[in-house]
This record gives sequence, structure tokens and C-alpha cells, in this order.
Amino acid sequence: MIIQDFKYALRLLAKKPGFTALTTLVMAAGIGLSVYMFSFFNTVLYKDLPFENGDSIITISGSQNGTKTESKVNILDYEAIEKSIKGLSEFGAYYNQSVNVAGRDGARRYNGVFAQENIFEITRTKPLLGREFTTAETLTGAELVVVISYDLWQNQLGGDAKVLDQNIQINSESYRVIGVMPQGYFFPNVAQLWLPLKNNLNELTREQSVSVRGIAHINSGVSLEEIDTQLSVIMTRIAVQYPETNTGIGAYATTIPGSGAGNGQGVIYSMHIVAVFILVLASINVGNLLLSRAIERGKETAIRVALGAPRSRLISQMLWESIIICCFGGVIGLLVAAWGLEISEAITATFFIDPPAFWWKFGLDAYTIKLFLAIVVGTILVTGLLPAWKNSGGDFNAVLRDGTRGALGKKAGRLNKLLVISEIFISMAVLIAASVMVYAAYKQSNYDIGANTDNTLTARVILSESDYDTDEKKVQFSQQLKSRLENGLGVESVMLASALPGDYALKTSIAIEGKEYTQNKNTSFPKVNYISIMPEALAKLGVELKQGRYFNNTDHGLDKSSVLVSESFVKANFVDESPIGKRLRVTNNDEVKWLSIIGVVENTIQGNRETKGLPTIFRPFTQLPRNQISIAIKMKADQSVVTNTLRKTLQSIDPQLPSFKIETYEQSNERYTAPILFISKLISLFGLAAAFLAASGIYGVMSNTINQRTQEIGIKRALGADEDIITKEYLMTGFKQLLWGGIPGILAGTGMGFAMSQTFGTGNFSLIIIAVTTTVFIGAIVMYATYAPTQKALQLEPSDALHYE
Amino acid sequence: MSNTLIKLENIEKVFYTEDVETHALSNITLTINKGEYVSISGPSGCGKSTLLSLLGLLDTSTNGHYQLANHDVSDISKKERARIRNMEIGFIFQSFNLISDLDVEENVDLPLTYRKDLSKEERKIMVKNALDKVDMGHRANHFPSQLSGGQQQRVAVARAIAGNPSMILADEPTGNLDSKNAAAVMALLAKLHAEGATICMVTHDPRSAEQAERTIEILDGQVVADHVKAPATKIATAVA
Ligand SMILES: Nc1ncnc2c1ncn2[C@@H]1O[C@H](COP(=O)(O)OP(=O)(O)OP(=O)(O)O)[C@@H](O)[C@H]1O
Ligand SMILES: [Mg+2]
Repeated sequence: MIIQDFKYALRLLAKKPGFTALTTLVMAAGIGLSVYMFSFFNTVLYKDLPFENGDSIITISGSQNGTKTESKVNILDYEAIEKSIKGLSEFGAYYNQSVNVAGRDGARRYNGVFAQENIFEITRTKPLLGREFTTAETLTGAELVVVISYDLWQNQLGGDAKVLDQNIQINSESYRVIGVMPQGYFFPNVAQLWLPLKNNLNELTREQSVSVRGIAHINSGVSLEEIDTQLSVIMTRIAVQYPETNTGIGAYATTIPGSGAGNGQGVIYSMHIVAVFILVLASINVGNLLLSRAIERGKETAIRVALGAPRSRLISQMLWESIIICCFGGVIGLLVAAWGLEISEAITATFFIDPPAFWWKFGLDAYTIKLFLAIVVGTILVTGLLPAWKNSGGDFNAVLRDGTRGALGKKAGRLNKLLVISEIFISMAVLIAASVMVYAAYKQSNYDIGANTDNTLTARVILSESDYDTDEKKVQFSQQLKSRLENGLGVESVMLASALPGDYALKTSIAIEGKEYTQNKNTSFPKVNYISIMPEALAKLGVELKQGRYFNNTDHGLDKSSVLVSESFVKANFVDESPIGKRLRVTNNDEVKWLSIIGVVENTIQGNRETKGLPTIFRPFTQLPRNQISIAIKMKADQSVVTNTLRKTLQSIDPQLPSFKIETYEQSNERYTAPILFISKLISLFGLAAAFLAASGIYGVMSNTINQRTQEIGIKRALGADEDIITKEYLMTGFKQLLWGGIPGILAGTGMGFAMSQTFGTGNFSLIIIAVTTTVFIGAIVMYATYAPTQKALQLEPSDALHYE
Repeated sequence: MSNTLIKLENIEKVFYTEDVETHALSNITLTINKGEYVSISGPSGCGKSTLLSLLGLLDTSTNGHYQLANHDVSDISKKERARIRNMEIGFIFQSFNLISDLDVEENVDLPLTYRKDLSKEERKIMVKNALDKVDMGHRANHFPSQLSGGQQQRVAVARAIAGNPSMILADEPTGNLDSKNAAAVMALLAKLHAEGATICMVTHDPRSAEQAERTIEILDGQVVADHVKAPATKIATAVA
């Protein structure tokens, strides 16, 4: 019997190949897009780490004034957390730091992780060779040891079998290799070597001690929310005790992959909602197509029922069609999703200089397959059961009796309305969300970072603490590097800074002389980007002077204290008074050194484009040298020539010093906007799909509805309604449906759009413009979908319309 | 002022479908006076419904002239035709053609809503009067699906007469009804006629045709017979 029904369904589908292809493709698009979206975000953010008990590993990060900033937590705060929090066990701590490792063919930069001794135990992973740290090795003064990654062992040390107990030069100090981790081990993220985190806690003040990321296992049955609640209590208590350092500072727990979401939670939820919406939209469209087919066959069904066919048989017959369409479409969708995931792996890899986080392995994993199966079953139920049940359960007697003439059954009419309203709702919501995202991406990639990036090569070097142990040495190095480079082949000018405009910069908090900083809960000292830059570099980079003067030769000297501030800094800190000559100090220093503001420059963006508004202050590199130096070279020759000049120059000054991230200034900036551009392309694909599905779906349902109402139109015209009245009446029903679906659609869309503008700072005005445009667009579709079929129906003479079947 | 309501001259109607031409009506010339009760009969497919559609301005003739109340309506705009249908003509269909989404009151009110000169109150009174005439006032808030066929047709009659049209066109109004209900509807029409309405009714049923004072017979799209009975007889039957 089942076989028979299956064959019957196949025959029906084969009879209408166009219909079958269309429904299958719609289903493939819906399933493919949503499977892809869910799988993508699962891999990036939600997957359990691939370790024993990996699902319970969490990380603790810092927040500021309630914003999850993904920052580190002072290790003394972390110690306090460890002592009083319930529901966590196996506390560990680490921080990341790039280190230079000397090798046979020069030094290279690696991602180091300074970690407490239990870091490997937390992941239940044993070294491939050798051993882990001991507690003794984490004390100051202990022998310097290191555990290296498989890759570092293979690449830098040539895979030497006798690697254990060898000494390697890290930041110009000698470390003994005590272990090698297995291949593919990069915990907590992209680590290439692990060094003991020195934690002699009781000897340090909060100002002196390092900041770390906490890691721990969460006990089963305890939720992240419960941990967050406790963290908030603990951190508030510490802030009361140490207001200078801790006012406004909080902490929160996430999974390690989940920490990547940061404040973008709203965006991520929106993307998931959009994915579900697309699936629903596809299902509604296919369901409706199947439903109208079922209605076409309504008479046949009614006759079968009258002849005594059991309802279950009829449902089974109709369900088979959905099963075939959804399974076939689903498999196509799954293949496309798999292909998309594979591409994503390549694309996302370009977001970073380093390899992406080790769990970013996109593809058809168990989660994806399970999700796929669930989605297919869901779509079968929605697309099949609904029309099947509706049609077979309908009053077959009424169908046979030919019912009241000239009108749709009340229920069918209501279902059609519901379909149109949901399509309007979904397409509106998805389109608004997608537009906001695309707009945000467009805006971000066109932000003025404050500097001219044309024809410029950038690179970074990190001076090791041991070789460059005094400020004088660092200054000397920078001046030497600059003058040698300037004489090099193909170099027009050289700009050195701790961070270039566009790049992440060190952040610090400051206090302005004569200002009171209240210590109530939400005001701490203002945060700023703190950049050291060679005096003439700002002008050369094109960071415009707005007031006062640039740095000049009079500013050289470690004892001097001049500072330039950005316009946003002035706006935030000085109302109606000139900032020139005012003094400020950096608060996380122990010594109080007042800095005089000598000028104001235009705003720069440092790091994530979302942090655009954060003001920046500049110091001359010759007053405040740093270990990390970004080099920008205006080129007057080919990039390869200049790259070569750079390499040779560095080598000649210090052969131990690797330069890394050599790329054009533009490339380096594009890296910051690549993820949002990718996401915006992704979501615009969803937007397109939504627009297409909704437009065709709305038109389909509307023209069906009006088609079925041809007789009714005939009656009304017989009673004296002219064409205008009929047109108006139908446009009015279309308009009502637009309101019913559109208003919630706008609310949902702007809700998601608002979440995104919170993250990306796109502003409410553009949100309104987008909402209005989308409304006009969908409104036009709905109105056209109503108008065109109505006019078609009106072309019939009323007498023909009355007899229309 | 003449008493002529309808004047057809050489009316011809041809349907073109694919490659077949159907001459549904040919060379019809006909005059109907105000207050007449006309029945149109003939075998299936002879063109009765087509004629009624033309009379009711639901369709246009291929050739010929149609004068309604001394105005040539062969070439008027669609809008004007709609207005005339609304003001001057009441339709009754074999299959009732009530709108299922609307209740009885709203169905009867429907043609009145297309008029701009009526206030809500006036319409309410007209609807009530019409429903009272067909004795359906007690069902004003029922939906068509909740009524029997006979009741539905009475509502359809109420809808046809609500706007006080100058003529009523009925296409087999009793075709879907049993004899008892059919008789009730026929009595209703007779009553309306007695009150002065002009009625054109297509019917198969000889007994129904009997009621009319004038019977027109059509065969293959042409008028083959046109009898007029004495008016007195007619009134007598109606009253009895
Ligand atoms: N819209 C149309 N298109 C093509 N041919 C039509 C159309 N309407 C009617 N006809 C044809 O015109 C002729 C007259 O039809 P009409 O409906 O007037 O017949 P009738 O006398 O009302 O028949 P019945 O008693 O069965 O209702 C028939 O041959 C019919 O097939
Ligand atoms: Mg007929």
C-alpha cells in the first residue's frame, strides 16, 4: 500500500516537471541556507572543544561598565574569584603574548601562551613527548622551561627527535624544552608554545600584576548565568575595596569558542533567526504550492472520500509528495551547504594572520547532519501534513455539493491570508536585518581611519625585553631603523609607531588634572588608545592637525612629557575650553607623571571598527618607547623591492629580530573589515533569497486567491460594482495584509537591526531609512501581486466571470 | 414618454473560442415594456442565458442596438454600465450566488454600498424592507451556509430588489429548488410584479412560465414565439 502511494506520488510529480523542479529548488535553497548558517555558527561559537570533558571548559573574561569587552582579568581579581565562586573547578589562567624564537635560519615570531601549570590537564591532554610544567616552575626565579607545539617542533626545530632538554632562544633568553604537544593541539586558541605563568601573587599589587584569562571546568548542572551572577557579586565587592583599579570592572563567563561572540550576541541571534525565517519561508512557499495542487485535485479527493477511502490513505498519498520534494531538495541543499562550508574555511582563514582558532573546522559534522535530518522532518511536516490534513479533513460533502457559489471557503481564505501575512512578516524582517548588516559593512569598510594608506607597506617587529632592556636602547633602535630604512632602496619615507592608525593599540585609562572622578558604580577613569609614535610620523601619515602643534624635535627626550590628543578626546573631556596646555596622567602607572597637551589631531580608529569612538592620545616614541613597533613605509618602488629592503635593514641592525605581518597598509586594514564583509555578503544572500521567495510566494498566493474569487468578482460586478470599486476593494485587502504582516515584520526587523546597530554603531536614522525603504519595497510587491491578478480577473466580461470555474 | 423599457434591434452575439465560432444569438429584435412579466424559455444551449446577460449589461453584443429606458447602451463605458446594473437592474441566479464571507444582511446591502448617494441609515432601512418582503428578516445575521437553498434564494431576491431597480432579471431562479421552495420563490416574483416590477425570467419549467404574462421562446439563438396573455388572468393567478 505504501509502495503504491509512493509510486502514485512519483507519477504525479513526474507529470508536472516544472512544478517539481521549482518546489525542489525552493526547498533546496531553504534547507541549504539554514543548514549552512547553523553549521557555520556552531563551528565558530558553539561546538564543544574536542577534548575529553571539552564541553565543560569555560573561560572568564573582563567587562567594563557592563560591556563584555573580552578583556583580561587582573590575576589578583581572578584569585579572589577562584576563592569564592561555587560551581567551577580546576581553575587555570593564561595570557597570550607573541614571542620571538630563534632558529637555524633567523628568528620567527610565534604565539606564546603564558599559562599556569594545569593548562594541559584541563584539556585532559598529555604531551606527545616529555612532560607538563610543575608548580615549582611557575615561581619567579625558577629555571626557564617551555612546552612547544608539534608545528614549532617540526618547522623551527626540524622535527629533531632529541628535542627534549635542548635549549631554544625565546625573546633572546634561553629556555629548556620540556615537552612537545600532539599535532593539532593549539589550546586555548592558536598557541604555538606554552611558557609557565609566574604567579607569586602575594608579592604584587593590582597595579603591578598581570592580567589573565581564566579557564575552568563548569560543574554539571550549573549554568553560565549562575556563574555570571556570582562573578558580578564578587567583582562588585572587589571594586568597593579597590576603587582606583576596579571601578566599573566586571567579569563574565563563556565557553572558549563562545567568547568570540563578545558583544556581537545580537548579531548572532539575528543571523540564526534569519536562517529559521528563510526555512519557514521556503516551507510556506512549497506548502502553498502543494496546497493549491491539492485544491486543484479537490474534487478528485472528495470523490475518493465519498467512495470510502480512509483519511490516513489520503494523507499518506499527499505526504509522499512532500517527502520526495523535501528529501530531494534537502540533499541538494546539504551538498550546497557542504560546498559553502568548505569555501568558508578558506575565506575565514584570510581574516587572520595566524591560522584561525583550532576548532574552526567547517564541514558536515555530526551536528550538521543531525540538524539536517531534523530540518527535513520539520519541512515535511509543514509542507505536507498541513495541506494533506486540510484537504482530506475538509467537508467533502460541501465540495461535491458545489457549495456557495462564487467565493472561497472561509477557512481556505483565512489560510491564504495567513500565508501572505507570514511571507510579508518574514521577508520584511529578513530584509531589514540584511540591509542593516550590509549598510554596516559598507560603512565600516569606508570609515576614515585617520591616515592615508596609499602605496604604503607595513610590518611589525617586537623588541625582546632582554636585548632591549632600557628605554634608551629602544629609542636608539627605532632611530637607527628609521634612518637606515630611509636610505634604503625604494623607500620614500618611514613612519614608526607602537600602532598605526587602523591597528589595535594599547589601551589605558587616564585622568585629567583638576577633574574629580566619582567612584559610583559606572564611572571609571576614561579609557583611551595610547600610542607612541615618531614625532614627524603623524604628519606624514596624514593624520591632520586640528589645534596647537604636531610633535617636533623639541619633544625628543625620555624625561619630556608632551601629548597629542584626538578630537574625540577633546569632545569627551573638555567642554568649551581649550585643551592646549591642560595636563593629564595615565592611571595604571605607579608614578604620577603629568603630560601636557600640545595639540589636537583628527580622530583615528584603532582596531575593531566597532570601537571607533574610543579617543586616542599620542606620545612621541622618543619619550615613551615601546617593544612593539609598527613600521609604515611609503614606497616609491615595487612592493617586493621595499620588502627586501626592510628585511635586509632589520637583519643588519639585529639578526635576532623577525619582522612579521609584512603587507600593504590597505591589506592590513581590510583584515579588520573582512569578517563583517563576509557576514554581510552571507546575510545579503539570505536577503536576496527572502526577497525572491517572498515575492514569488506572495504573488503566487495572491493570484491564487484572486483567481479563486473570480466568480465573486463577477457577482459583485453584476450587482453594480465598477472596476474601480473592485480594484480598490482588493488593493485594500492587500494593504490590510501588508499591515498585519508588515508591522510585526518591521518590529522584528528593526529589533534585529537595532541589535546590529548596537554592535556596529550604524545609528538609528539609517535604521529608519532602511525600514521605510523595505516597507516600500515589500509594499510594492504586495500591491502589485494584488493589482495584477485583479486586473486580469476584471478583463473577463462579468457574464464570463460568473461562470468561471 | 413611452412605456418602453427595453428595445433590442438586430442583436447578434458570437462567441469565438479557439477555432469555433458559436452564434449564440442572431438577429434578435425585441421590445419589453415597463411592468411586464416576461418568461424566456427554450432548449438547453439555445441562448437564453446569453440574452439575459446582454439585457443585464453583463456582456456586450457583437452587433445590434440595445436601448434601455430610451438610452442607447450598446456603446457606453464600463463604468456607466456598472452604474446602470447597480441602479436599474436586479439579478437572481439559479445558483443563488450569495457571497459566503458575508452574512445575509451584508449580502443584501452589498449593491447598495456601491451607491454613493445613500447614507448608512437609509441603507439599513432599505435592507430591512427588502428582507421583510422575502420574509427573511429573522435571519439577518446568518451566513449563507447556514440557510437552506430556498432561504438562500429568497435572500438573493431580497438583494435583487433592495435598490428598487426598474427591472429584475432571473436566470432559472427555481432550477436548484424543490417544488415547494420553487413555488415560494415564484409567488414572491408574482408579488413583486403585482407591485409594479418589470421581470424577465429564464425558465425551463412550463408551470413557472405559465405565471408570466408574456412568454418568449428561443430556438438556436432566435425568437421563435412571443405570446402575451391577458393581464387580468395573470393578476388573478397571482392573488390566488
Ligand atoms: N463564454 C462563452 N464562450 C463560448 N461559448 C459560449 C459562452 N457562453 C455561452 N456559449 C455558447 O453559447 C450558446 C448559448 O449558451 P447559453 O448559456 O446562453 O445557453 P442557455 O440557453 O442558457 O442553456 P441552458 O438552458 O443549458 O442554461 C451555447 O452553445 C454555449 O455553448
Ligand atoms: Mg442558461
